[in-house]
Amino acid sequence: MPGIGVRKLTILAFAAAVSFAGLNAQGQGGGQDDAGHVATAAAGIRHVFVILLENKNYEDTFGNSTQDPYLQKQLVSQGALLTRYFGTGHVSLDNYIALISGQSPTPDTADDCPNFTNVEQTGTTGDGQVIAAKGCVYGSGVRNIVDQLKARGLSWKGYMEDMGNDPARESATCGHPAVGGRDNARSFQGPSEAVPQGDGYVTRHNPFVYFHSIIDSPDCNAHVVRLEALPADLTSAATTPGFALIAPNLCNDGHDGSGDGRSRCKNGEPGGLASIDAFLQAWVPKITSSPAFQKDGLLVITFDESNSTMEKTTDPQTGATITNFVFPGKACCGQQPGPNLAGVRPGTTALGGKSSFVYEGFGGDRVGALLLSPFIKPGSTSDTAYNHYSLLRSIEDILGLDGHLGYAANDRSRGYVLDTIGNDRAIFREADKPRAK
Amino acid sequence: MRRTARKHVVAAALCGLAVAGGAHPDRSPAASPVLTQPLSPAAALGRKLFFDASLSASGKLSCASCHSPTHAYGPPDGRAVRMGGVALDREGMRAVPSLRYTLARTPHWSEDVTASLAERIRDAEAPAGGFGWDGRFDTLHEQAAFPLLAPNEMANAGPAAVVAKLRAAPYAPEFRQVFGARILDDTDAAFAQVLQAIERFELEDGSFHPYSSRYDLYLDGKVQLTAQEKRGLALFDDPERGNCASCHLDQIGADGSHPLFTDYEMEALGVPRNPEIHANADPHYFDMGLCGPLRTDQAAKTEYCGLFKTPTLRNVATRKVFFHNGRFHTLREALRFYVRRDTGPGLWYPAGKAGAAEKFDDLPPALRANVDRGDAPLDRQQGGAPVWNDAEVDDVVAFLRTLTDADAADAGSPLR
Repeated sequence: MPGIGVRKLTILAFAAAVSFAGLNAQGQGGGQDDAGHVATAAAGIRHVFVILLENKNYEDTFGNSTQDPYLQKQLVSQGALLTRYFGTGHVSLDNYIALISGQSPTPDTADDCPNFTNVEQTGTTGDGQVIAAKGCVYGSGVRNIVDQLKARGLSWKGYMEDMGNDPARESATCGHPAVGGRDNARSFQGPSEAVPQGDGYVTRHNPFVYFHSIIDSPDCNAHVVRLEALPADLTSAATTPGFALIAPNLCNDGHDGSGDGRSRCKNGEPGGLASIDAFLQAWVPKITSSPAFQKDGLLVITFDESNSTMEKTTDPQTGATITNFVFPGKACCGQQPGPNLAGVRPGTTALGGKSSFVYEGFGGDRVGALLLSPFIKPGSTSDTAYNHYSLLRSIEDILGLDGHLGYAANDRSRGYVLDTIGNDRAIFREADKPRAK
Repeated sequence: MRRTARKHVVAAALCGLAVAGGAHPDRSPAASPVLTQPLSPAAALGRKLFFDASLSASGKLSCASCHSPTHAYGPPDGRAVRMGGVALDREGMRAVPSLRYTLARTPHWSEDVTASLAERIRDAEAPAGGFGWDGRFDTLHEQAAFPLLAPNEMANAGPAAVVAKLRAAPYAPEFRQVFGARILDDTDAAFAQVLQAIERFELEDGSFHPYSSRYDLYLDGKVQLTAQEKRGLALFDDPERGNCASCHLDQIGADGSHPLFTDYEMEALGVPRNPEIHANADPHYFDMGLCGPLRTDQAAKTEYCGLFKTPTLRNVATRKVFFHNGRFHTLREALRFYVRRDTGPGLWYPAGKAGAAEKFDDLPPALRANVDRGDAPLDRQQGGAPVWNDAEVDDVVAFLRTLTDADAADAGSPLR
C-alpha cells in the first residue's frame, strides 16, 4: 500500500511497548494479543505440513493458468481455497522467515541475503521485532517456531529438495554457507559429470538456517534434511514430525522455467506452474495417504510472494523508454512494515536508466493458499484475509504452542488483527463433528 | 533472487584446440585417487588417443601438443594461438585453456531461466557452463570431436579419416578388444567410442587433478603462506577492490573440497584486440564468444556478444598466454590490465579518431555496452586511482603462484 509504510513506522517508533504475559521478553509477542483458541475441528490437527512455492499470482495459479490442472482443479475440489492469502513481502527470504518466526524483514533479508551475515541487532520493538539495519542470521535469542515446538515437545523437520546434490556447495543436512561468507547456493547449478542432477537447492528458501538457535544446535543436521527423507518419516504417525516445511528445488517450486516450453529449467524440466503441478502430483498423495495426515493432518500449499507487473514509462528528461517492474506490495490484515524498512519499502531502484523496480508497498501481494485436511470441508472456499503471519499464528494456535511470535501476535492497540485459519468455519468442520474414520 | 556477481577474469587462459578446465568427480584432494587408481579400459585407450599425433592430418599434432601434461594440460609456450591444419600452417582461433580440475564440475551450458522477468533483470544471472571458451559443448565427448575435425587443428576430413588412422594405430587391437571385434568396421560407432574414450581419460586420470599446489597444502594446514602471499590473497578476496573471488571462487567447499577458482559464468571483460592473431587483420572480423561466430546457436542474442567463460586460475602462473585471445603474455601484465582498464585505457587500447583510447576495440562499437563496467574493479573512471598499485599487483601474483601444482612448477613462465 503506497505510503503507508512510513506512516506506520513512525507510529511504531513512538508506541508504548506492552509485553504480553508469558511471552519471551526478547521480542516475541505483541502488545495486546489474544489467547489462542481454535473453535473448529481444526483443533484436532496434530501434524502440519507446509509446501512453500514461488512467485505466482493468485489469478494465475488458481484462475487463468492451464499449467496446473492438478492443483487448480483436483486439489481445490478436495480442499479449502483461501482466496485472499497474501505474501508478507518481496522478494523471497523475508516471507520464509516471517512464516517461521513472525519477524519482519531487515534490508538484507528483503534482498535475499547474497551474503550470509549475522543480523546486527540494535534493539527490539515493543511488538517483538528485531531492530537491525543489516544482516541475515538472527541471534540465538530470537525465537522461532522450532523453539515453540521443542518447548511443547513436538517434533519438526525441514525437507529441502536437492540440498547437498553438490556436496561441495552445501551440506546435505542443514545446508548453509559459512556465517559471514558469500552464499553460493543462489541459483540452479546445472548438471555436470560430478553432479549429474544439478543442484536446485538455494539457501534463501530454507528459513531454518537463518537462526543461530537452529544452526548452532546439533539438531539442525537431524531436522533440516533432504526431501528424500520424507517418505520414510511418513510411514507412521510416530515418525512424522508435528511441523514439516517442504521446499522444492528451484524448478519444482516454479521459480525457474516458464512451464510452457519457452524457457526450461537447467535440469531440462519445464518449470513454472507445470513443474509445480508435477511436484504436487508426486508428493501430495504421499503426504495425504500417510497415517499421520489421515489421522490428524493439515497440508498447506502456498507461495512466498506474487510476481510483478510490467509497465513502460517515458523518461521526461531524455524521452527514453523505461520499463518498470511494479510490485504492488499489497498487504492484508493491518500488516505492519516492521522497524527496518524505511527507505527500502516502499521504494524504487533504478537499473541503468533502462528499468526500475518499484515497490509500492511492503506486502507480498495476493498468492492464495490451498489447505487439505480430514477436518476440512472439501471444495470449500474462504475469502477471509490471511498472510504468512496469520499462518504462523494459526499453526501456533492449532498445535497449542506457547504464545505468538512477532507479528503473529495481534496488537489491537494498533488495529492489527489476524484471524486464525483454524477458526474459519467456512472451511473447517465444526469441532463437535469430527470426520468419520 | 540472485544478486549480480559479474565476472572479471583476473587471468584468463585461452581456448581453441580442446576443452576447458580439468577435474575429477572426486572433488576433495583426500578423496582423489590421483595417479594411483587404475584407469578403466576405455580411459586407458583414451590416454593413448590423447597422446597420438598420428590421429591428425599433419601427423604431428595430438591433443597433448596443445594441452601439455607438463604445463598443467595448458599451452607449452607463449603463442597466442597455436598452429594446426594439414601443413600446420593454419592458426587456431583462441588460446588454449588448461584441462586441469574443472572438467568433471563444469555444468552444462545454461542461461538465466528465472520465471520472473523482473528477477532476471534485477539479478542479471550470467550464462554459465559448457566446455570451450563459449560453452558450446555440454559434454567432453561432444567437445572432443571438434579438434579432431577442425581444419585449423587436427584437420581430419571427417570421422572416417580418424577411424582410418585408428585402424593403423598400434593400439587398434586393444580398441577392438575393449569395444568389440568389429568396432572398427563401423565408422560412426568407432568414432563415437574414440570420443567416449578421450572423455573417460580426461575424467578418470589423476593427472588432471593432483591438488599438489602450495595453496592446497595451505588449506590443509601443512604450510603457511608468506606475508606477501597473504597480502595477495586478501587483495584477491576484497570485494571493494580486487573482487576476484566473486568469480574465481577460492573458499573451501562444504564437504572440505578445495576450490577450483571459477564459477563457470560468462563475462565480457573488454580484452583488447590482439594483433598477433592474423584473423584480426580484417577489421570486420570479431571473435565475440558466446554470440559467435564459432558458436552459432546464440547468434541472435547480441547481449551475449563479447562474453567468454571464466577459467580456473589454478596453474595460471605457469602460463604465457592470458585471456581468450592471448592478448597478454605475463600474469603481471594481465593483472595490470584488469585494474587499470578504466583508469588508464590508453595503456591498452589504440587511439580512436578523436585521439581518445578506443576502449573495448575487440568488439564492434554497437556491442561494446556489453562489457562489464559495474563490478569492482571494472567500475572505475579514467584518471582515477587503480584499485591496486604495482606492488599490490606483485602481491597478487605471488598469491596466484601458490596455485601452481608441484609437477607444473618448473614449467612456470617468467612473471614479468
